Amino acid sequence: MDSTIALLASSQPVSQGAEAALYKGTLHSASAPLLLKHRFAKGYRHPTLDASLTKARVAGEARALMKCLRSGVSVPGIRFVDASAGVLGIEWIDGRSVRFLLGGGDEGVDDEEADETEETEEEDALAEYGVARDELMRRIGTEIAKMHLADIVHGDLTTSNMMLRLPSASPTNQPTLFLIDFGLAYTSALAEDKAVDLYVLERAFGSTHPDAEPLFAGVLAAYEERMGKHWLPVRRKLEDVRLRGRKRSMVG
Amino acid sequence: METFTYSHFPSASSIVHIAFFTHVSNAKALRARIINAASLTGKQGDDERERVNFAFVDARPVASLLHLQTAICQAILSETQDVLRTKTVHSEILWALNPSHNITEAIRRYGVSDTTTSLLVVRVTSPDLTDVEARMKAVVDGQLEDLSALASTTDWATVKKYYKLAGEDALKEADGDDVRERLVIDSIAVSTVAMKSVMNT
Repeated sequence: MDSTIALLASSQPVSQGAEAALYKGTLHSASAPLLLKHRFAKGYRHPTLDASLTKARVAGEARALMKCLRSGVSVPGIRFVDASAGVLGIEWIDGRSVRFLLGGGDEGVDDEEADETEETEEEDALAEYGVARDELMRRIGTEIAKMHLADIVHGDLTTSNMMLRLPSASPTNQPTLFLIDFGLAYTSALAEDKAVDLYVLERAFGSTHPDAEPLFAGVLAAYEERMGKHWLPVRRKLEDVRLRGRKRSMVG
Repeated sequence: METFTYSHFPSASSIVHIAFFTHVSNAKALRARIINAASLTGKQGDDERERVNFAFVDARPVASLLHLQTAICQAILSETQDVLRTKTVHSEILWALNPSHNITEAIRRYGVSDTTTSLLVVRVTSPDLTDVEARMKAVVDGQLEDLSALASTTDWATVKKYYKLAGEDALKEADGDDVRERLVIDSIAVSTVAMKSVMNT
């Protein structure tokens, strides 16, 4: 059997999406846990095309993470790559999604656990991390700005794709915000693409969190501050995108 | 010496032994011996190659145990998939540690050199080979240390240079704080090694 498939078989399934399955596993007898993202074979695609798409996407995600790491954007480190098996292994982040911490529930977690967590008050959840809501929003805005300044567009910015790591799990004992899931990320210097990133996040806030407007305003304020002179073109584009939606007009 | 089990790899490459030696006094002779072993023929050659059948990694440009282990894991993966870029899984570890695709440069930077004084010795093998520590001690004249002592020998300026980290925004974030800067350097070095197979530069 292929060794990477054997690795997945010995790991714990975490969640399953249409594009990939996630596992929690270890590489060897004394290894720290890691998150294994398996882009499994898609039966509806021609096998040759499927293999090359899978390889390209694993490589693309790894490169986007690497660019973020070098640019000082807080993202999980890369631990293992087997592009031909469609597997990317990244640092395991012990913490919760921002979506959960803001009381929006958790996405893609099995029902049993979701029932338990619904009863947790979100204030308590955030208090455990020692971060106030406003501070959390500020950090989100700052990390997105750092990413955009490096010309990386995330492609799927939602509160599910941001995690706060428990202070106890950090080498510096500080709660750290991480941007995760760079599966749709790409490189672009266009203010338009960055504005769409922000717009997608704004919509995600609006649809999953009560009191979304002041929250997102906090994100934007920190984003603006970090972007400096690069903020103005993005702001202009964001206004356009808000009027017309995420997709560009086919006319003209 | 510590031993790690990689249960998902084929049995022949499922065990990794790592030893850390400091105060190494025979680096120059060891290097000559490794080079000489490669050209010996017949049974004598096979025996000599088996005696030096390890990855000898200079510890100075190694950021952490995780850095080394990430290279080991990717090297064994290449071996099992028959896509080694170098002759053996042990030389592949040196190749994996260096960010460029130049084999000679990888060996010069990460292999044993005449001035090496701290050395990581790695053996990828099957569960059947048992006397590995004795075999390591037989070729390295040095003081065997706990792997946790590795942190004290890392030459951070060299790691920074090899991974071309000067001036990167990630280091500016650390803001002159040595502890934070080392965490950042280690994180980038480990990630670079892990993704080398999909880096096309």
